[in-house]
Amino acid sequence: MERAHQYALSGYLIALADDELVLGHRDSEWTGHAPILEEDIAFANLALDEIGHAKLWYELAADLLGEDKTTYPDRLVYFRDAAQFRNLQLVELPKGDWAYSTLRQYLFDAFEALRLEALSQSSYTPLADVAARIRTEELYHLRHSQAWVLRLGLGTQESGGRMQAALDALWPYAQALAAPLPGERDLHAAGIVPSSADLFERWSGEVTQFLAKSGLQANLQSPVSDFDRRTHSPHLPALIEDLQSVARLDPEATW
Amino acid sequence: MDTQWPRFMVFQQEGPDQPVVHNGTVHAPDAELAMLNARDVFVRRPEAVALWVVPADAIFTQTQEELAQAAETQLAAGPLASYYVFGKFSQQAQCRQVGQVQASSPLAAVHAAIATFADKQPLWWWVFPASAVLKNESTEAEPMFSAARYKTFKDQAEYPVVTMMRALRNQKANHKDTENTK
Repeated sequence: MERAHQYALSGYLIALADDELVLGHRDSEWTGHAPILEEDIAFANLALDEIGHAKLWYELAADLLGEDKTTYPDRLVYFRDAAQFRNLQLVELPKGDWAYSTLRQYLFDAFEALRLEALSQSSYTPLADVAARIRTEELYHLRHSQAWVLRLGLGTQESGGRMQAALDALWPYAQALAAPLPGERDLHAAGIVPSSADLFERWSGEVTQFLAKSGLQANLQSPVSDFDRRTHSPHLPALIEDLQSVARLDPEATW
Repeated sequence: MDTQWPRFMVFQQEGPDQPVVHNGTVHAPDAELAMLNARDVFVRRPEAVALWVVPADAIFTQTQEELAQAAETQLAAGPLASYYVFGKFSQQAQCRQVGQVQASSPLAAVHAAIATFADKQPLWWWVFPASAVLKNESTEAEPMFSAARYKTFKDQAEYPVVTMMRALRNQKANHKDTENTK
């Protein structure tokens, strides 16, 4: 791979990893607080999976940059400032109620399933291999979140109402999934990564159909949030501070 | 008011040549969510090749004592259905699959099992209609079961916390001793 592509791809992967890390952290906040024991375990599993996926992407970025992949992920996670994170605002918003977290997980999982399917066809084999491995787990995540969206959407007046409120709140943020990731244009031209805009079109069709089946209506005229992954809400610095507090107490400590 | 969801029994097969065994219970509003809950609760660590969930109230059980005490039972004739037969062979053992019989009622299925599997003497028979079982689809086996195969995890024992704390305490105690003798 050309040097310019290597550099671009590392930035692309770090953005993907940041999405997984931040969403995984939000999922982990349900540990001990989920409405029932089984879902508490399920959400803890989701959190572990997402953070595990982040690690795989950070390691691949380390390889591309010639960094030590045993230490590079920790450096990125624990010693970057919030402003340097490249995740979507969609994943950094506070966990909200159970409907909100479940719906966000669904919107994200559905997009991930499409992106991973495309990445597993990448011309860069190490990327294709990792994508195929992550995809296996994401298919399970999607099945889990779809099952809940359907049941809560069609459940009681209260569950349906909460889901619709969550959708109204999250839909503008989800539009940012259409925006290209860092370095995407060149990488897409080289057949290394898919176009986010193309994936978004498929996602949008699939998701609005499934939401309608679940009794939920996406407001297609809703305003669109800021697309830029450099712009964050005030919720991200608070999350990052929480995430990094222990590691920063003693940066030299070994674990 | 009982707001608890219905119970489902979870059965799991660890390898292609292994019997299906009862592994535990989950609560869920329906069979599909019971299947997902069973996956998250039971098969993330140990390997599995198949997972079944069965509504707890679809399972008919008979202990040896119950069978011995029962008066001569007149079994009503009815349409035959397929039943799975499980048996618990010791207090500690998990209930495991014995086989399958055709019978017209759950009780008839137990009697058919006793006749068919004469060499098996479980302490406790479990039977349930095959139609009450939700099994994982083989196409979804990979997403459901692969996590246990390649996901690395650290056992609690791998964190030497206890040893480290003991060393720290000793260090502190020694330090105090040295201070005192000064």
